[in-house]
Amino acid sequence: MAMISLQDVAITRGRRLVIDGFSAALEAGTITAIVGPNGCGKSSLLAAIAGDIPLTRGEISLAGRDISEISLSQQAELRSVVLQNRNYWLSYTVREVIAMGQNRDAQQRMDAIVEVLDMTTFADQSVTTLSGGQAQRVEIARALVRDSEIYLLDEPLAAQDSQSKSRVISILQKLRDQGKTILVIAHSDKQSLSWCDHVIDTLA
Amino acid sequence: MKRFYLLVFALVLLSLYALSLGAADVANVWHYITHPLFDINSPSHQIIWEIRAPRIAAAILVGSCLGIAGVLAQGSTNNPLADPAILGTSAGASVGVLAGVLLNVVTIGSVGAVICASIGALLATLFTFSLARSALQLITIGIGVSAILTAVVGLVLSMATRADARSVSFWSFGSLALVTPRTLLILLPILLVCGFLAWQVAPAVDLLSLGDESVRHIGHDAQKIRLRAFAILATLVAVTVSSVGSIAFLALAAPHIARYLVGPRNRTLIFYSAAIGALILLFADSASRALFPPNELPIGLLTSLLGAPILILTLKKGGDVWR
Repeated sequence: MAMISLQDVAITRGRRLVIDGFSAALEAGTITAIVGPNGCGKSSLLAAIAGDIPLTRGEISLAGRDISEISLSQQAELRSVVLQNRNYWLSYTVREVIAMGQNRDAQQRMDAIVEVLDMTTFADQSVTTLSGGQAQRVEIARALVRDSEIYLLDEPLAAQDSQSKSRVISILQKLRDQGKTILVIAHSDKQSLSWCDHVIDTLA
Repeated sequence: MKRFYLLVFALVLLSLYALSLGAADVANVWHYITHPLFDINSPSHQIIWEIRAPRIAAAILVGSCLGIAGVLAQGSTNNPLADPAILGTSAGASVGVLAGVLLNVVTIGSVGAVICASIGALLATLFTFSLARSALQLITIGIGVSAILTAVVGLVLSMATRADARSVSFWSFGSLALVTPRTLLILLPILLVCGFLAWQVAPAVDLLSLGDESVRHIGHDAQKIRLRAFAILATLVAVTVSSVGSIAFLALAAPHIARYLVGPRNRTLIFYSAAIGALILLFADSASRALFPPNELPIGLLTSLLGAPILILTLKKGGDVWR
């Protein structure tokens, strides 16, 4: 059974139909990248799978259940989401932001995740002082402390240096090997996505 | 915690000093202040303990209410520009009380007036919020809603001839001159209850700083949290507006100054912002009474004159507190 399944999905942003008739089935234990140029609707696709925006047409299901029928808290248990372009205006520490609103299990996983993502040097700093790449890793950490079956990541490598990139990639591959389903949105070319199991081009 | 005690200590000192200030010349003023039960029936005792003391207490309570209201307004909208005056909350409260007074349902300073103000405040805030599709729109639409409601208050007052409807300056700048002990009996319990409720909702308001989508992604309902905060905010603003009118700027400045002192965590912030709001309002009110006696200066002008420079200084100095 596909963990994430999209059938004939259409999404409208503003008045524009950004996704029209998209179908895909993502199996458990795989990493899939969705690629495409700017404005092709790939981030909208992720938002729709995360349940943030309504569908104009079609159906999305997670673990075999239509997302419009899964409650907010059940969705949150099932999938974790990493958004891009995070801006902070309040000086909470990195640790505080990662722990915010999380259950106890997730909070206990924090130290390990901070370590793996090489964030110990700035873990007690204010999030307002972080660079783009560091802020992005805070977002990745917020998702990774959660024990989900599905991880949805919007451009997780965009602002990372090569060392951080390979670190994030190896974590995602480890999760895949544990049977998790991972979906990555990227605008990079297919060659640099050799670490993914499948690459779907929205233009194709 | 040390800095909080310092703020409270400053508040106590300022309150004592404020007891000695005023248009009336009281002989042996400090003797009456340090001996609250001395010579109870003398005019001096009455001036200090029955006229000045309630007013000082009201300044502290109203300042605290507005300090907490500001924390909730900024936190729940995740927007550093939000304050009750911008969201339409204050103007909504004014319209609420004014409607109640002109329809002969309530009198200013009564529990009924607070209820009318709360309804007006909550409706206006929800109206602003339901129209806004983004953080920026919340502010722009809020300014619009405020402008409409403030204009309605002004127009109604220009047409109404009743003295008990108060003046335009009461509704736009506020005044503590008409405070009675009964005002305190309404302010205090509402401040305590709303303060406690604000403390309860504070960690959830912290969460809103992640943005609504991220809040949703980890299984919480941002709108529910916001609605709770709005209800508390509306009640706090309502009780201040219905007892002393709209006091400008305090609810915007106090949370920023407090954030500079103790950081962004809303639970701590509530206490500090309340103390700072109380301190600024008490200082402003004392100045308004003492600078040109027997004339009183409009309190809202002094809160702006005092709060704004402190706000600008803290924001300039506190570079990484928020940007």
